[in-house]
Amino acid sequence: MRIRCPYCGARDNGEFSYLGDAAPRRPEGMAAEPAQMFDYVYLRDNPAGAIRELWYHAAGCRSWLVVTRDTRTHAIAGVAAARDVALAREAGR
Amino acid sequence: MPETEVAARPASSAWQPRSPWEGHARPGRHGRAEGAPGLILQPRGRSGLALLIAAPGRDTELGNRLAAHLGWSLPEPGRTRIAGERGLIWAAPGQWLALAEAPEDLRELDTLLDGVAAVTDQSDGRAVVRVSGGRAREALAKGVTVDLHPRAFGPGRTAVTGIAHIGAQLWQRDAEPTYDIAVARSFAGSFWDWLTAASAEFGYVVEPGPRA
Amino acid sequence: MSTTTLTRLEGAGPAAAPPSALRLQPFRTVSGGLIDRCSPLPFSFDGRRYMGVQGDTLASALLANGVRLVGRSFKYHRPRGLLAAGSEEPNALVELRGGARREPNTRATVAELYAGLEAASQNRWPSLALDALGVNGLVAPVLAAGFYYKTFMWPAALWERLYEPMIRRVAGLGRAAGADDPDAYEKVHAHCDVLVVGGGPAGLSAALAAGRAGARVILVDEDFVLGGRLNAERREIDGSPAAEWLSATLAELRSLPEVRLLARTTLFGVYDHGAYGAVEREGDHLAVPPEHAPRQRLWRIAARQAVLAAGALERPHVFGGNDRPGIMLAGAVRTYLNRFGVLPGHSVAVLTSGDDGWRTVDDVAAAGGRVAAVIDTRAEAPPELRRRAEALGARVIAGGHVAGTRGRLALASVDVAGAGGRTERIACDCLAMANGWNPLVHLDSHLSARPVWSEAIHAFVPGPGHGHGPDAGMRAAGAAAGRLTLAECLETGGRAGAEAASACGFAAVAPAVPTTDPEGVAHVPLWRAPRSRGKAFVDFQNDVAASDIELAHREGFRAVELLKRYTTLGMATDQGKTSNLSGLGIMAELTGRTIPGVGTTMFRPPYTPVAIGAFAGHHRGRDFRPTRQVASHAWCVENGAVFVEAGLWRRPAYVPRPGEGDWMVSVSREVETVRARVGLCDMTTLGKIDIQGPDAAAFLDRVCANAIGTLPVGRCGYAVLLREDGLMMDDGTVARLGESRFVITVSSAHAAKVMQHLEFCRQWLWPGLDVRMASVSEQWAQYALAGPRARDTLRGIVDPDFDLADAALPVLGCAAVTVGGGIPARLFRLSFSGELAYEIAVPAGYGDAAWRALMAAGAAHGICAYGAEALSVMRIEKGYPAGAEINGQTTAGDLGLGALLAADKDYVGRLMKDRPGLADPDRPVLAGFHPVDRGARLRAGAHFFGLCATPSLAADEGSMTSVAYSPTLGHWIGLGLIRRGSARHGERVRAYDPVRGGDVVVEICPPAFVDPNGEKLHA
Repeated sequence: MRIRCPYCGARDNGEFSYLGDAAPRRPEGMAAEPAQMFDYVYLRDNPAGAIRELWYHAAGCRSWLVVTRDTRTHAIAGVAAARDVALAREAGR
Repeated sequence: MPETEVAARPASSAWQPRSPWEGHARPGRHGRAEGAPGLILQPRGRSGLALLIAAPGRDTELGNRLAAHLGWSLPEPGRTRIAGERGLIWAAPGQWLALAEAPEDLRELDTLLDGVAAVTDQSDGRAVVRVSGGRAREALAKGVTVDLHPRAFGPGRTAVTGIAHIGAQLWQRDAEPTYDIAVARSFAGSFWDWLTAASAEFGYVVEPGPRA
Repeated sequence: MSTTTLTRLEGAGPAAAPPSALRLQPFRTVSGGLIDRCSPLPFSFDGRRYMGVQGDTLASALLANGVRLVGRSFKYHRPRGLLAAGSEEPNALVELRGGARREPNTRATVAELYAGLEAASQNRWPSLALDALGVNGLVAPVLAAGFYYKTFMWPAALWERLYEPMIRRVAGLGRAAGADDPDAYEKVHAHCDVLVVGGGPAGLSAALAAGRAGARVILVDEDFVLGGRLNAERREIDGSPAAEWLSATLAELRSLPEVRLLARTTLFGVYDHGAYGAVEREGDHLAVPPEHAPRQRLWRIAARQAVLAAGALERPHVFGGNDRPGIMLAGAVRTYLNRFGVLPGHSVAVLTSGDDGWRTVDDVAAAGGRVAAVIDTRAEAPPELRRRAEALGARVIAGGHVAGTRGRLALASVDVAGAGGRTERIACDCLAMANGWNPLVHLDSHLSARPVWSEAIHAFVPGPGHGHGPDAGMRAAGAAAGRLTLAECLETGGRAGAEAASACGFAAVAPAVPTTDPEGVAHVPLWRAPRSRGKAFVDFQNDVAASDIELAHREGFRAVELLKRYTTLGMATDQGKTSNLSGLGIMAELTGRTIPGVGTTMFRPPYTPVAIGAFAGHHRGRDFRPTRQVASHAWCVENGAVFVEAGLWRRPAYVPRPGEGDWMVSVSREVETVRARVGLCDMTTLGKIDIQGPDAAAFLDRVCANAIGTLPVGRCGYAVLLREDGLMMDDGTVARLGESRFVITVSSAHAAKVMQHLEFCRQWLWPGLDVRMASVSEQWAQYALAGPRARDTLRGIVDPDFDLADAALPVLGCAAVTVGGGIPARLFRLSFSGELAYEIAVPAGYGDAAWRALMAAGAAHGICAYGAEALSVMRIEKGYPAGAEINGQTTAGDLGLGALLAADKDYVGRLMKDRPGLADPDRPVLAGFHPVDRGARLRAGAHFFGLCATPSLAADEGSMTSVAYSPTLGHWIGLGLIRRGSARHGERVRAYDPVRGGDVVVEICPPAFVDPNGEKLHA
């Protein structure tokens, strides 16, 4: 498996470590409810198809990445820097 | 305590720095004895190395200040701008390694970049070896997963990657080819063991390293 | 063999064969083939000496010497000979070489012969010809499909004592060397535009098309000679022998600088996104690899496009007695004849279901052999082929099949049933079987591409969607694509190579397709003989017979996946290369379905077995994984320190002095020295992270559970990091170097994980914060200097301008100082031992000098170096939790740190730490333990039970996590987690350790054993 880091180019999957689904959003602040946090920590969808997931380029530039991968074929449709995704998300909030 | 500091070896100290390669690199010809050596390995001395981390959105200003004061321009991701032993190496998004002959040469960066970038001295943190020779690519391919073919990589290019399970940054200096490879200091022994094992079938020469 | 050759061989020096040895190559032809008859190679098989020639495989050399019997089958121990000439060979598994270089289970057909090769057969006792377990064949009815599941079931008690040891002795193939492999293995990473798998006519054409366009091409072939079946058949290209085209093509490819040809290299696996695994047997054809060269290289290839031109494998016929030595695939017979100059038999019969098998007739005759008969299973034999065969004196039987075979350890005759039901016996010592070809879809299916059935060639061919579309495209060509004729191979290969190169952006055109001599491909497969006598084998390596498939059918195991598992069809080391389709064909007949209706089998890597050593490469023994050295490493080595592995680090565990025979004596002495005088310990392994920026304090407040933002500049504090699920991640220290600059230290073992977590928080959770983080773990050597005389010792290296008095640098103070005459250093008043203590950080290049200077400065104060063991003893004496307690299952509250947690800010883990399970007051929490009998030894891992309780899971109250002999107290002490432990001080429980026979009554106490009020700290 090879992943195209937006900064470093295509690299072997051994350089990356996997976290999981990028969809859950951390409930921020003192007002967050325990039930929301429980969902964030534990509840995950398991789609057959495209999923956006977090990978870390541990042996490279140490960027967290959002990788769009098809769970049925491993085909990767896109890779973006997680920080850019997060900033765009905050801007759209 | 000052906010930043750059280690330097003052003339007044009697303490001798120790090279990370000491005890590992033995000067001379090794490996295959016949024919011209395929590689030259040159352990590098204690040069100046500092990590510059730009404040969010201040990359341009960082570049401008470096250009104005030192004549250095900020390289793009995966690129270096090096003249002699001084220059800049891309290291991560918004991060660059500043390179100089000696650690004290980088002292001015603290004040120069105040407010636009964090400066962290790494002069002692990395062990650097210079690898060159006609078989350098073949030997490095035994651990470097990045494509070093001239069509894919050349002078002015850098890669942060793992080599034989050791985190490393390498950059190409010239088309001979010559590469500098930096690994974390504590890994120097293991990295040397791998590098020399990879080079042995081509025959290699270890040039005398500095004491530090 | 000609007389001239004999003479030359006799004069060839000490390696030359005695004339008697040469006479023992009775099956070698006079001329032809890719062998050098003038380069004799002596070798041995089962201790007997033979002679082969340069260019032989072990298989061809054995055959040349008339050795037919090469192995015993796995289950029935039936005598077996060579079936094939390539890597699909199921029978001839041999042990190669001797001593530490012995390698089991290599197919003799791929073992390249060299002078002095030692080989031995496997799976026989006492000898190949007289195998005691051959009687298994007599009890064959018991050993039928599923016998593992039906036999040995009862009585259950006999399983462990009798059945399993017996099966283990009887089963299994070769023997491992049992000694360290003396040879080197390597890994290589390669990149290319176009990877071509297979060096036959299709692969070479593909490489030529891509290479001419300037693409970077890697061509791999498992054989040691490129050319594929061009080397095995007598063919013409453009009116000349194919060898001329081959040598011209190879010469051109070798002239192209971006084309790399890798012979002896098996592409064994296809992985996602254009990643491939291959193994190159660089030194296997040599007795000992040259100095500095590896025996094998593992290639990891990243290719943008790939052309699968791996060819096709011929199918055997299934009939009674089809495993007798001398019965071979027809293509293999031609390979031995044409490539190796070996006649597989003096009198050859051909059994074919298509035109293709008839090629064998001409080849045998041309090599001087006799063709006894041609049995074509089709109703009509092609008239032209029949005429030619009959002209050569062969008996031709159309519409027939082989109904049985005879011969003790080798084939003597076959019984042929003709179309009219009449059976005749034909004497022959070799039977060549041709039953069609299976394209090599193995590699194509590694990425789950499902092969599809081709009615044109009666075989599975690669389906659509190779390698997940054009993005990571693999395209099949030639026989691998089901295009079996030479003309098609040349044409589809060239086209696939051009398409692959074009997909990489090169302007590529397919080479002009040369003309070839005509060949017939008409073929009607026969999946098994309608009636025959004796066991008819489908899977030779796993001894699965047609009758086993019938049994599976009767018992309902008809789905292909069930059939496979019930009968073990295709589950041997060859993954059923020669057997899968026959098995499917028979099941299709039995169920009245089509073959694709029965199903197909997918394949997994590796294509052929790969030695573990190739996967390990450089990383074995001392280099199994990289190691990290601490800053004081050189001093520690000079002074005889004993090292311990801590993650990748090699840390000094203790530094014994002469006369200290026991590690505990050394460790106790080190502890006592620290508590009474002063000691120095290398803490360089700590993870150190520099955190800067206007939002640094806010960031740390979100990642740490305790308050950080209120820490004054010049002070250190404790840092508690939780995971988002509320459990402890790590603990450490944080020092505020400036208003917006901190350095945190985290435990050695967690350093990388914590850095990854902090990057996650910075980049993903809170990208708006201006925080800049850098690991400085390697920049700073860090030492703990502890003990009543620590300050006095420190004074010896810190430059005089800096005040070290308690008022200037109190407990938890930090300061920038210089040492050794102007070298910048960081000083932290931190203690992990409870003593007056400092941690001092110096630039790592000066780490060695600083260590030596501190040891010198402390000499007058009685300093000693102490290692990880003494460090651990002292932290247990102080009741500080460490890795054994912060084990991924404990909360801050469990470890007595609950009071530190901030109530007025949000941080990682804040909400989840309060979930019911973690807030349960009944949870095991940290406590100290000492044995009631002060002489008793404690063991980490012991579980706690009430004094009267019977040990059981339900009665379990917790476990001992850390123990040490405390020289300060003179007895063993322990830390552990026990239910409601903080409320039970003074109570006694059992520390029960049945694994090591420990059962000690211990008293629960506060975790701090020594100086609980911390008076020494403030000295």
